[in-house]
Amino acid sequence: MMTLSHLHVLWSYRDLVIRLAWSDFKLRYKSSALGFFWSLLEPLLMLIVLYMVFSNLMRIQVEHYQLFLLLGIITWNFLERGTSMSIGGIIGKPSLVQKVYFPRDILVISTCFTALMMTALEIVVFVIFMVVFRVVPGVAVAYLPILFVFEFITVLGLSMALAALNVYFRDVQFIWRLILQIGFFATPVIYPISIFPPNLQKFIMLNPMACLISMMRDCTLYQMAPASAELAYVVVSALALLFIGYLIFGRLEPKFAEAI
Amino acid sequence: MSAVEVNGLWKTFQIPHERKTTLFENLVGLMKPRQYESYTVLKDVSFEVEVGECIGIIGDNGSGKSTLLKIIANILRPTKGEVKVRGLMTPFLELGVGFQPDLTVRENVGIYATIMGLSNGEIREKMNEVIEFADLRKFEDTKLKNLSSGMQVRLAFSTAIQTDPDVLLVDEALAVGDMEFQQKCFQVFKKYRNEGVTILFVSHDMNAVRRLCDRVLLLRNGERIDFGDTNKIIDKYIYAVDETTNEDAKATVEKETRWGNKLIEITHVKFIDKCGKENDNFISGDSFVVRIFYQAHEKIVSPVFGIIFYSQETYCYGTTTEFKGCDTGIIEGSGYVDLLMENLHLLQGRFDVTVAVASSDYKTQYDWHDRLYSFNVHNPTRDQGIFAMEGNWTLRQLPSSERDGLSKP
Repeated sequence: MMTLSHLHVLWSYRDLVIRLAWSDFKLRYKSSALGFFWSLLEPLLMLIVLYMVFSNLMRIQVEHYQLFLLLGIITWNFLERGTSMSIGGIIGKPSLVQKVYFPRDILVISTCFTALMMTALEIVVFVIFMVVFRVVPGVAVAYLPILFVFEFITVLGLSMALAALNVYFRDVQFIWRLILQIGFFATPVIYPISIFPPNLQKFIMLNPMACLISMMRDCTLYQMAPASAELAYVVVSALALLFIGYLIFGRLEPKFAEAI
Repeated sequence: MSAVEVNGLWKTFQIPHERKTTLFENLVGLMKPRQYESYTVLKDVSFEVEVGECIGIIGDNGSGKSTLLKIIANILRPTKGEVKVRGLMTPFLELGVGFQPDLTVRENVGIYATIMGLSNGEIREKMNEVIEFADLRKFEDTKLKNLSSGMQVRLAFSTAIQTDPDVLLVDEALAVGDMEFQQKCFQVFKKYRNEGVTILFVSHDMNAVRRLCDRVLLLRNGERIDFGDTNKIIDKYIYAVDETTNEDAKATVEKETRWGNKLIEITHVKFIDKCGKENDNFISGDSFVVRIFYQAHEKIVSPVFGIIFYSQETYCYGTTTEFKGCDTGIIEGSGYVDLLMENLHLLQGRFDVTVAVASSDYKTQYDWHDRLYSFNVHNPTRDQGIFAMEGNWTLRQLPSSERDGLSKP
C-alpha cells in the first residue's frame, strides 16, 4: 500500500480528502452558537487550571511558563484529538465503506486533517498569547512547521493502525484512551524535562512526543534550533510509525466492508 | 474490447455464530473453538462485458447479485478469482452516500459529488444545474435535515447523474421513489447507454431489464446459470423458478375455501407453460393451459367445469365448459380437463384461480375450490394494466384543404 503509485492515487483524491476534512470540521461547530470559540475554550481552561496549580503550588521555575504550558497542551491535544477521532473514522462511516469505493486510508487521512485544522486555530491563540506576553521568537521558529509535519506523520501512522484495529476489536478505543491518559503525564507537557535526573531524561526522550514537544518549545520560546540527533530521531520514528500503521491497515483493509 | 472481465470469482463469507467485537470477548473466545458458518455466495462466476454494453444481472434473492456488484466495485474482495475493469467506474449502490444532515444543500452536493468522483472545478460548474434539476433552488442554503426525504432523494439523484463514468454499476436499491422518479432514473440510464457507457444493472424488474439490457447474466445460488440474449435468459429465469412455493401455498390455504358434495372431486390443478412443463410463472402472450384433474365417484352426465381468474379483488374473467360449448359427456373414474389459451391475455401481476365442477344445470355444486390456486404473469411489453388487448395504432394526417373545411362552421 505504501508505494509511489499509491501516493499518486492519493494525490488524485486530494479534493475528496480536503472536502471530507473541511465538512467534518464545520460539522463540529455547526449547531453551536459560539462555534469555534468552544474549541478554544477547552485548552484555555486547561491552561488556567494547570498554570495555577503548577506555577503557584508546585513552584515550577520555567521562563514563560504560560506559553511553555500552552504550546505543550496544543501539541499534545493534536495527538490526542487526531488519534481519538481517527479511531472511529472507519466504523463511524459505514456507508462510505460499504456503498462506495475509494482508498480507505482517505477516511483516516481526512480525519487527521480535521484535527490539524482544529490545532491550527489553537496556534492562532498561541500567537496572540506570544504577542500579549511580548515574547519575540528567533529564526529558530522556522523549525516549528517542520516539527508539526512530523507530528502529523506520527499521528497519521498511529491513527492508521488504531482505526483499522478498532474495526475488529472495539475495545481498542478504550485501551487507547487509557494510554493517552498515562501518556499525558509521562510526557513533559506540564513540566520541563529538566526535573528528572539526566539518565532518566534520556529514557523519557525515547518517547517521540517528548522529543517533539521539547524541540517545539526550544525553537519557539528559547531561540534554540533542534539538535540534529533529536531531529533525526523524530523523523525516523515518525516514518517508522507511518510504515507500521500502513502495514496493519493494509493487512486489515480488505475485509472492512464485511467486518464493520 | 472488454470493459469488465470477471474470471473464476468465488466469494465465501465467514459468519461467526457469536460475533466477538471486543478484545475481551476474543480472549475468552480463545478457550472455545471458534464457530464459523461459511456461506459461499459466489461459485466460480466468469463473464466478460464489452465496452458500451448494458448487462442485466438477475436471479432470486440471495443468488449473489449484489455481492457480485460489490466485488466489481472493489468494496468487497473476492475469496478467489479476479476482476478487471477498464476505465473509470462509478457505483450507484445507494443514493446520497456521505450526506450530512447538518450541512446545507450546497455543501452536501459538494461532498457527494466529490465522493462520486467529480473534481472541484466540475462541481463549481455544475452546482447550479444540480440544484435546478432537483428543483431545490429555494432551499439551497437549508440544512439537509430540514428537507423531506423525497427532496433528499431528488438531490442525491441529480448529483449522482453528473458523473461521467466509463463503467456504471447500478443496484436495484436505487429503484425507490414514485413512478415518475423511476421513469426519470430509467431515462438517465438510457442516456448513459446511448453515450456508450458500459452498464451493469442488478434488478428484479424484468420489464426494466428487458427494455434496457443487451445481455443478461442469470445467477442461481451463486452460480452462473446462463449469460446471453436478454429475452432468452429472462424466459429461462421465469420458467424455471418457484417449483416449490406453489405446493407450500396450496397446503396452507386449503381449508375453508372448498365446498361441494364431492360426487366429483377435483384432485388437483396444474398450470402448464409453453414448454409443456408445470409452472406458475408465465409471460403474457405465451400459451397457457389450466389442467383440472378430477375423480368421479359415480357415473355423472355432462358435469360442468368452470374457472375464474381474479386479480386481487377484481373478478377478471370466468368461463365454463358449458359456456364454451364443450360437452363433457358421461364421466366416471378419474381424468382431467384442459383449458387451453393460445395466447395469454392477462398482462401482469399475480392471479388467483377458482376452479369448480357442478351439475349440468348448475344446481348442485360437486366441488368448488375457491381461489386456491395462483400464478404470476410477467409483462414483456410496456403496456400497463391487467389485460393485454390487441390493437394497432394508425394515424392519418388530413390534407390541409380538408382541415380548413373542417374548421369552418
